[in-house]
Amino acid sequence: MALKTNLYDVSKCTACRGCIIACKDWNQLPAVIEPFKGNYCTHEDTNGDTFTIMRFMEYEEDPADDVKWHFLKYQCMHCLDPACMKVCPRHAYTKTDWGATFHDPEKCVGCQYCTYACPFHIPKYRKREDKITKCTLCVERVEAGLTPACTRTCPTGALSFGDRHELLDYAEERVKFLRANGFPNATIYGKLELGGLNKLYILTDTPDKFGLPIDPKVSSTIPAWKDWIQPYVGWLIPLALAGSAFSFVTTRILAGKHEEHAEGGHE
Amino acid sequence: MQLIPEYREDLPRVERFNFVARMTHWGHTVTFILCLLTGLVLFLNSGADWLAAIFGGYNGAGLVHRIAAVTLTIFLVIFVIFDFKGIINWVKDLLRFGKDDIIFVMKFPLEFLGFPVKMPPQTRFNGGEKGNSMLTPTCVILLVLSGYIMWFPTIFPAGLVRISYPIHDIAMVLATFMVCMHGYLGSFHPGSGESFWGMWKGTVREDWAKHHHAIWYEETYADKTDADSDAE
Ligand code: HEM
Ligand code: HEM
Ligand code: SF4
Ligand code: SF4
Ligand code: SF4
Repeated sequence: MALKTNLYDVSKCTACRGCIIACKDWNQLPAVIEPFKGNYCTHEDTNGDTFTIMRFMEYEEDPADDVKWHFLKYQCMHCLDPACMKVCPRHAYTKTDWGATFHDPEKCVGCQYCTYACPFHIPKYRKREDKITKCTLCVERVEAGLTPACTRTCPTGALSFGDRHELLDYAEERVKFLRANGFPNATIYGKLELGGLNKLYILTDTPDKFGLPIDPKVSSTIPAWKDWIQPYVGWLIPLALAGSAFSFVTTRILAGKHEEHAEGGHE
Repeated sequence: MQLIPEYREDLPRVERFNFVARMTHWGHTVTFILCLLTGLVLFLNSGADWLAAIFGGYNGAGLVHRIAAVTLTIFLVIFVIFDFKGIINWVKDLLRFGKDDIIFVMKFPLEFLGFPVKMPPQTRFNGGEKGNSMLTPTCVILLVLSGYIMWFPTIFPAGLVRISYPIHDIAMVLATFMVCMHGYLGSFHPGSGESFWGMWKGTVREDWAKHHHAIWYEETYADKTDADSDAE
């Protein structure tokens, strides 16, 4: 099945935060009220009860002008090759055939390996259940033929949902237009990053201006741990057991042979 | 067939481990094995439902892992507080690692399989035990440190948390590798099995001590027995 993805166009977003509320509403998530930190962000980061947030990045181009903002809707990127899925010891993650990274809370044991494996630090621990949570790309809605709750609610058309190829084509056009109209650094995010994200962004400036890693990377400790230590180094344990069992037998056979020498209770 | 050498009360015996050393050793043994079994539930990537089932499922295993981990830590603390002198003497003995220990370790595979070998005289801990005494406790300390970091990741830097996962696993494998051989040698191995009683009841047969740890025996008991017989 073709990949279906969510496209977020920063240039059309007004940071109304409708998507946050729609997400909370659909997923039955309680409000999490964070203290005022002197900026417009309601939440510094996603949390166990907040799958998506709106980032406000303040900047000043010209001191004579007022403060300006970069907005960014931030949530799970639904990586095509997800690190969270690779490290999960309970195989709680699956990729749907249309590209959502789905997390099954039934299997999760709350070890938080995925939180630290994710290049975006997205999966968050929900203490009361001892499990992690994150954006589902509204799997149930999409599979019932609907669009994700956040997309459906977006009043400006900044969020759209559909075939990844079509959306990429659209994004290329849009970026061309933006570059020609006052945003020379406009770019697509999610096309190639980490081998492709099933979540596309049209940015009006370079990704770092939006707090996104320009070249996100999966920590090198993960392949060491998951591809080498677990499958190979662990065999030392059965080796030690087998060696001991072998010695158990040979010592007893050899003791029989050297009976005369071992007279008087072996040594 | 005999599993462990018989405990001989009729023969003269000498003390090898005091109460605190024995109590914490067996405390560590039980908690280590509990941590191991509950940890393997996650380590065996293909799934270990049967193993998890013993602890009431994966969440149960996680809980037992944490309880055993805290108990293991408490035994470590008890050991350090109440037998600090013992630890210092232990470390001092490890620092005596020398030529005789190397010869011991090189010849050991034959002894391990049960061939009669002539070993150079050993101090309190033989070459193999010295190696074990360095590697296993180091791994256990790494397990404890990385374990608490994995348990409370939010209070540590993310880079440290990421490196803790492979460290916890490598330390687990190395420690378990050593413990398998160590547990076998300290019980069912006919040559060194007598040492089990040193760890269980505190004493070993005098003739065994003379034969297996000649230097230790000379330094700790030989002088005294000579002095005793002189006095008589
Ligand atoms: C103070 C000591 C220890 C602490 C605090 C600790 C803590 C942890 C934690 C938090 C986890 C993550 C899984 C979970 O959430 O249940 C874990 C996993 C694990 N632990 Fe420990 N642990 C300790 C000692 C040990 C020991 C002594 C062993 C084995 C001999 C061990 C073997 C393992 C293994 C095999 C895993 C699974 C690793 C993986 O998924 O690759 N741990 N431990
Ligand atoms: C599986 C069952 C075990 C048995 C039967 C066993 C037995 C013994 C015995 C008999 C000794 C005394 C050796 C001597 O006379 O010098 C000993 C020492 C020791 N044990 Fe264990 N043990 C077991 C498990 C463990 C575990 C799980 C650990 C640590 C995680 C451990 C750590 C040590 C250390 C560090 C020493 C001192 C160094 C040495 O003698 O090798 N043991 N053990
Ligand atoms: S963004 Fe993180 S949580 Fe989402 S799929 Fe990628 S690795 Fe997994
Ligand atoms: S917290 Fe849950 S989903 Fe994440 S790695 Fe652990 S078991 Fe898997
Ligand atoms: S796709 Fe669904 S779960 Fe994800 S942010 Fe949008 S509404 Fe929330």
